[in-house]
Amino acid sequence: MGDGNSNTANRTVSTNTKSNEKPEWLQHYNLIGKIGEGTYGLVFLAKTKSPANRGKSIAIKKFKQSKDGDGVSPTAIREIMLLREISHENVVRLVNVHINHTDMSLYLAFDYAEHDLYEIIRHHRDKLGHGINQYTVKSLLWQLLNGLNYLHSNWIIHRDLKPSNILVMGEGEEHGVVKIGDFGLARIYQAPLKPLSDNGVVVTIWYRAPELLLGAKHYTSAVDMWALGCIFAELLTLKPLFQGAEAKSTPNPFQLDQLDKIFKVLGHPTIEKWPTLASLPHWQQDSHHIQAHKYETTGIHNVVHLSPKSAQYDLLSKMLEYDPQKRITAAQALEHEYFRMEPLPGRNALVPSQPGEKAINYPTRPVDTNTDFEGTTSLQPPQPVPPGNAVSGGMGGPHGVANRSGPRSMPIGMRMQPPGMGAYLAPQAGIGGGMNSGNMTMPRGVAAQPHLRRKDPPMGAGYPPQQKSRR
Amino acid sequence: MAANFWTSSHYKQLLDQEEVNVVKPLDKEKGLTLEDFKLIKTHMANYIWKLAQHIKVRQRVVATAITYMRRVYTRKCMSQYDPCLVAPTCLYLAAKAEESMLQARLLVFYIKKLYSDEKYRYEIKDILEMEMKILEALDYYLVVFHPYRSVSQLLQDAGLNDTSMTQLTWGLVNDTYRMDLILVHPPHLIALACIYIASVHRDKDITAWFEELRVDMNVVKNISMEILDFYEVHKMITEERFNAAVNKLGLRP
Repeated sequence: MGDGNSNTANRTVSTNTKSNEKPEWLQHYNLIGKIGEGTYGLVFLAKTKSPANRGKSIAIKKFKQSKDGDGVSPTAIREIMLLREISHENVVRLVNVHINHTDMSLYLAFDYAEHDLYEIIRHHRDKLGHGINQYTVKSLLWQLLNGLNYLHSNWIIHRDLKPSNILVMGEGEEHGVVKIGDFGLARIYQAPLKPLSDNGVVVTIWYRAPELLLGAKHYTSAVDMWALGCIFAELLTLKPLFQGAEAKSTPNPFQLDQLDKIFKVLGHPTIEKWPTLASLPHWQQDSHHIQAHKYETTGIHNVVHLSPKSAQYDLLSKMLEYDPQKRITAAQALEHEYFRMEPLPGRNALVPSQPGEKAINYPTRPVDTNTDFEGTTSLQPPQPVPPGNAVSGGMGGPHGVANRSGPRSMPIGMRMQPPGMGAYLAPQAGIGGGMNSGNMTMPRGVAAQPHLRRKDPPMGAGYPPQQKSRR
Repeated sequence: MAANFWTSSHYKQLLDQEEVNVVKPLDKEKGLTLEDFKLIKTHMANYIWKLAQHIKVRQRVVATAITYMRRVYTRKCMSQYDPCLVAPTCLYLAAKAEESMLQARLLVFYIKKLYSDEKYRYEIKDILEMEMKILEALDYYLVVFHPYRSVSQLLQDAGLNDTSMTQLTWGLVNDTYRMDLILVHPPHLIALACIYIASVHRDKDITAWFEELRVDMNVVKNISMEILDFYEVHKMITEERFNAAVNKLGLRP
């Protein structure tokens, strides 16, 4: 798409028969390094070379050819299919798609987002030791709802909302703007959707709606609202709201512990309050005696420390309504009085809430500059570069890669286990399979290797114009 | 947008018939006429239907696959994109896009089972390579809208949703994929044209209902005429004529 190269595809193939040659499209980018790894492939940080957008940061998600010999990964197809149709300020923007015919790999190029909610929450919890200010929480939630409302009104269910999939833009024109990311599991629900488990897909259970945990056969947009409720609570307390231990014995196990965690806080669901509960398979079969179990209700207000009379509490409890039909919708939530009260939500969620208050410097993503697009690691050790000239080519600025610290996160939401989580919570181990924990952290003060970019040819004829479809 | 046709990539990509009816220079050099070009596409649409019937793929997937195939040939020439490989690969890709995974293995198995002719013979590797080239040729636009949804809704609205009308209209819609209509007209107008033909055929007077719709009846009638014209000529589309046309491309030694 977009790069106007489709007409030259054949030529590109024939001139790139040697696998060590750079594909033509790649020459439009300066590769900075690897920023993430997931089940489907790797994620890279790159900068565009085109004169119009020179130095613009791009996250490039590389999909490997699927191992089962079945071509382009269905996840990539879903993601491309949906993101090619949609456009919204609070949804991640797919800039380009590229194919490398030589090794049959597929690359999706996205606008790069420096932060995500997982890292923001972690920074407050582990480094700052204080909560996220009310303005930021409200702005993040409002934008998140705004993006979700757009998706839902276009009949798209995301199905995998969690803090690491919620991106927040770094410094620049869109600073502090929320972008919903990772559409690998998203669906258009014109036709009823089968449960993900039928496709053998694993998603984290902490944000999973109770109707799904109880075996509901189909997804509705309400599952996304439940996840958002969990994320809202997590923004308030800096702790995942329902941290169930995942049962993994069978392909589609019943997640008893996750339900247990929910019931302990919200109380036992009842047929009176949730009439369709009776028809949900796991409730009906009751093989784990969940119907009889008695719960002492903690109450959500005690967990998030909110007054039951507050607007915040009212909105949160409506998002965590058991009955999906009664659960608040994104459109309704945007109208909630919480968003009409001071502080009002804003476009830049990361600016200081009070005049005179200092802005928080959230850490930038660590970049592994030793990994190239093939995913191979060069043996050269990182070269320390004095601060100031670390980033070459006049890019510099806020997206510089020097001085990154701390473990990496999921830049555009590939499913992988966030590092550090293992110690913090045991149950999630193994989600995402092929992750490589540990080896991406860069020591403080170590900058990108300049030669990575110096190697590239100078900016030449420029970037082909965006190929627009007709009409 | 994914659910709104008027903001979709499908709508933005609609072409005029004259733009669809362009034989690419390379194909022209090989002697391919516009008639040949149309004939090959129709034959390939039939090929996709036939494969899908055996593999038991949903109708919607077939419709999407044929649309992909037709879109590919608005941009690519047949001498470089062999129709006999493009067609099954479009079915393979459409199955992924429409959430009904079809294994390349199975596809190749059925091709071999159904066709002994050398020119249909392709291996898994060929399908997978072509899948990427097709994605590129489609410019990564994969969402396709079809007349089927509109047909059910419209027939119900007109009070004509009896089995006989529904089946006839449905069959007509299926046949529209043997033409390029899906590249040229919004799906609901194709649906209306099929309903129009079916209503005439079944002697149902729904003039009043049509008048209440805010659509350009001239366009609907023109589409109907195209469909009827197609039924006139489609009997002439024989395997021999297809072979003669496709052999001009000189695809395989």
